[in-house]
Amino acid sequence: MSGNKNKDTEISSSSSPFMPMFEHFRAELDEHHDRRERIIKASRDVTAASKKIIRTLSQPLPAQVTKSNTPYHETIKTQLSSVAKDLQGLNAHRYARQISGGCQEFMEAALFSHYLTTGTLLSYESAAEELKALGVGLSVEDYILGVYDFTGEVMRFAITAMATSGALPAVESSNEGEMEVEGERRTVLDDLRVLRTVLEGFNAGGGPFGKDCEKKMDVMRASVEKVERTLYGLVVRGAERPKGWMPDADAARPVEVEG
Amino acid sequence: MATNGGAGIIQPGIFEDLQKKIDEDTAVKDALRDIVQNLEKQDRAAQSALSRAHSTTTANMPTVIKAASDHIASEIETVQQLSKVASQHPYYRFNYAWSRQMESVCFSILLCGWLGGFGKTEAGQLLTIEEVGQILQIPVNVKDRDTFHLTIEEYLLSLISLLDELSRLARNSVTLGDYRRPLQISQFIKDVHAGFQILNLKNDSLRKRSDGIKYKVKEVEDVVYDLSLRGLLPKDQ
Repeated sequence: MSGNKNKDTEISSSSSPFMPMFEHFRAELDEHHDRRERIIKASRDVTAASKKIIRTLSQPLPAQVTKSNTPYHETIKTQLSSVAKDLQGLNAHRYARQISGGCQEFMEAALFSHYLTTGTLLSYESAAEELKALGVGLSVEDYILGVYDFTGEVMRFAITAMATSGALPAVESSNEGEMEVEGERRTVLDDLRVLRTVLEGFNAGGGPFGKDCEKKMDVMRASVEKVERTLYGLVVRGAERPKGWMPDADAARPVEVEG
Repeated sequence: MATNGGAGIIQPGIFEDLQKKIDEDTAVKDALRDIVQNLEKQDRAAQSALSRAHSTTTANMPTVIKAASDHIASEIETVQQLSKVASQHPYYRFNYAWSRQMESVCFSILLCGWLGGFGKTEAGQLLTIEEVGQILQIPVNVKDRDTFHLTIEEYLLSLISLLDELSRLARNSVTLGDYRRPLQISQFIKDVHAGFQILNLKNDSLRKRSDGIKYKVKEVEDVVYDLSLRGLLPKDQ
């Protein structure tokens, strides 16, 4: 349809002295739009694959995790590599908004997976290196926003664990220099509180990034409190209840464990 | 519960480093904002000078062009300054900070050129994106290196602003007794409109603004119609 329209216009306007100029602009803009659409598609596919990885990770049977997630990792690798050439040099930041969604979701999956296996937070440098190997740059912003979303996954993980095993999961960290407190185990809630403190102390500045952080900050705070509330229910009423009873985090609203 | 002072999940220093990176960005944004605000001020002065075109006859237009050119000359200096600072960073990382103002500067130049400025001997000429780049002493539509430049989008948006301004000028020319200029403007807007129609625009600001061109075409056509109905069009047409 648009092809016909173009043809008609070209015939009726063949006298316009500006046509060669606009033909040049058309070629440039088409190239830009094509590139932009390729990146948006790749970003969506990376997001979908990352979500599947997260979903698999939240399920029990960690032994299966690495194996069943391989195809999703392959998808991410292929998708990012396919647009890597579109994101080089001048264009690295031109399409930041288009690729950002995929990067954030991938960060969430990578942070969660790293946390479940090592008990530590995947650093920006390591994460950026992983993406750089695929030819895509990771912005500090996408990493931080990924950390916010990651706290939500930790919350779901903690609540599922409390519901199924009746205890807050303990964490064994591979970090050096950790203070071992005698008789006290580090738990997932401790980690969530540390993340909350750090994120609350982070100054995101103004602009779109600041706004994104503000929104995610509320969600993150609610996540920490959900775990605290569930733990409270477990401590106060848990002992009186029969085995297998699950505490409610929020009496009015059921906790969405799978969401 | 053990609260072990930040150790545990987070290796010390991770967030301090990230904070430093974000703060550096903020400092760049602040430096750019000062320059861009200056540019905005200068461009207001340029456009204020150019708006006198609506109440100036063709014979007196050179004084308007001269006044506008002086303001544009100081804008060029500021753009040079902006280019120097901006080129130290990835272009598209911060381009939102100046894109609107660069579009506005480009519009002032296009209008001044259309009226007969910048060495154009007669009115009604369109400065190409390359000519605007030469006037501003910056590259245009750069694709092969990461440096400050004028983009096609900025040029096209300012071209639409020019059409808006010309449709107003068509009416005001008639008021001043100039019945030739509306014809010239009508042809110019039609020619540019034809150009925009071959672009495959997506649902972005360029699309939205270019959708309005057809109304400008009609507005000026109406002026020409009014003149022809009353036999006021120049005889040689």
